Amino acid sequence: MNPLFKGLLAGLLVLLPFGVAVANEKAEPDPAKSQYWPPIRQMMFGEREILDGKDVVRVYLSTRADDASTVPVAVKAQIDQTPGQYIKQVYLIVERNPSPAAGIFQFTPDSGRAQVETRLRFEDFSFVRAVAETNDGKLYMASRWVKAAGGCSAPGDKNRLPANLVGTMKFRFADDTVEAHKPALVQLMIRHPNESALASDFDESKTPQFVRQVKVTYAGKTVMSADVDFSISDNPSFRFYFVPEKEGELQAIVEDTHDKRYVHKEIIVEGVPLPGG
Amino acid sequence: MGRRRIAALLLAWMAVAPVRAADALESFAVTEIAPGNFVHYGRIEERSPDNLGDQANIGFIVGGQCVAVIDPGGSLAVGRALRAAIRRITDKPVCWVIFTHVHPDHIFGAAAFREDKAVVVGHENLPRSMAQRARPYLNALKRDLGDLAAGSEAIPPTRLVVDETVLDLGGRSIRLKAWPVAHTDNDVTVLDESTGTLWLGDLLFVDHTPVVDGKITGFIEVLDRLAALEVPLFVPGHGKTAVPWPQALAPERDYLALIVRETRAAIKRRKTIEEATDEVGLTERDKWVNFDDYHRRNVTTAYTELEWE
Repeated sequence: MNPLFKGLLAGLLVLLPFGVAVANEKAEPDPAKSQYWPPIRQMMFGEREILDGKDVVRVYLSTRADDASTVPVAVKAQIDQTPGQYIKQVYLIVERNPSPAAGIFQFTPDSGRAQVETRLRFEDFSFVRAVAETNDGKLYMASRWVKAAGGCSAPGDKNRLPANLVGTMKFRFADDTVEAHKPALVQLMIRHPNESALASDFDESKTPQFVRQVKVTYAGKTVMSADVDFSISDNPSFRFYFVPEKEGELQAIVEDTHDKRYVHKEIIVEGVPLPGG
Repeated sequence: MGRRRIAALLLAWMAVAPVRAADALESFAVTEIAPGNFVHYGRIEERSPDNLGDQANIGFIVGGQCVAVIDPGGSLAVGRALRAAIRRITDKPVCWVIFTHVHPDHIFGAAAFREDKAVVVGHENLPRSMAQRARPYLNALKRDLGDLAAGSEAIPPTRLVVDETVLDLGGRSIRLKAWPVAHTDNDVTVLDESTGTLWLGDLLFVDHTPVVDGKITGFIEVLDRLAALEVPLFVPGHGKTAVPWPQALAPERDYLALIVRETRAAIKRRKTIEEATDEVGLTERDKWVNFDDYHRRNVTTAYTELEWE
């Protein structure tokens, strides 16, 4: 695990007051004036300069989220992944969540495109920040205001998951088939409660069980890896690109906070119908 | 808007707020739909200081010795208005406060009945759900009502319904049933056996867009079980209707079944969750009030359930 990330979780959990409702938040505030951002920024990026991200990275969410426990988000690179210039890391941050660093996603030139779609929980009305770090070490940020609340404390109590299904996975492809050397979109679906450390019936003597790390390889090369947190919705979903060859194995390795390790793999062959429909 | 202007508006609002609080529930009415069964029909509106969370259908049943409240309403103010309405009708004690499910528009008035030492009753899953949601629900209530939310509280049930429970109100029995995951994972219905009146909580929405906060396929299964019952009189969780049982269930069932059908089709066509929420079920828009407030959320819930089939 990224040691910075581990530190963040411990630090920010105690640092941030949460759940204080403020009446005037119905209007969209100024992202530069958020009182929640400076301590997070300081802890994650110190004094490093953060540039306006609009030509490098964008974050897509509905402003009014329909279900605070499942808010779809997409982070999309505005630049191509080439060996010379690429996004190597994207930090996805939900400012007002008890653990604001929802995920740190690592990409390589083999990713095809630096893009990830996932689903987030929101504890309160909040800015979402996507900070992209390019291979030259520069940081670029995009922000979005989202009105959604209560999704961290009320996770996954709707459809409780039988223990034998925890960690089962599916790949779901955006297209019927893949073509060699052409970036392909795939969704990794993980059956997992992704327990929140905030649920009030949570027993403090036990670590909540949530997915900590996701690593996806194709033909042995990493295409996407992520350090994630319980800001991700239950049954975590990640959708991203990889670049297939004529034939190769797509493999996902997932680890959770109970040190459980789950593996899922599939051979992908050009032109052969793919699961997903 | 300038800061000074906002300050002026805020002052003006603060000056009228106490008056509005009193006005909001001044016309709080209850209707005796069957002997001893009194319903207050909530407004189909978003929560605001104007309605103080008076959104759900709530009420009470008067027995020979006791009164049972069925949902104390969306704020302490609503709970107090309901208590005042009970006191105009009977001086029998309120022995029970029954929650049909966890949602804030149904539960936050319970503190109004604390002085009655009423026993709070709910589904066996309700304590867990309430513990997880109480804080964010209360924050949202404060956000919407400001100071007018004061005193509203999520009071956990101490008597739990597992399958079925019968409460004796003195010469009148009411039968509580705990359902499997449907609208929520803690839905309870109340049947007044002497009149056959069935209080459905949010297992039935009329006019108000149905809300799925549990399991959409489970919701449809529960509706089919309900439709097989003989029900001379019933109380929906929201809205009212002159349509008889079981036809009154049809619009909601059709809506849910359409979402299931179209979401499954969208998944099959490799649509993402955002694409599905943009296209599923839109032909139902004109049939429901507040469709845009709840429909996309229902599709989101349906998608996360059905994508694993």
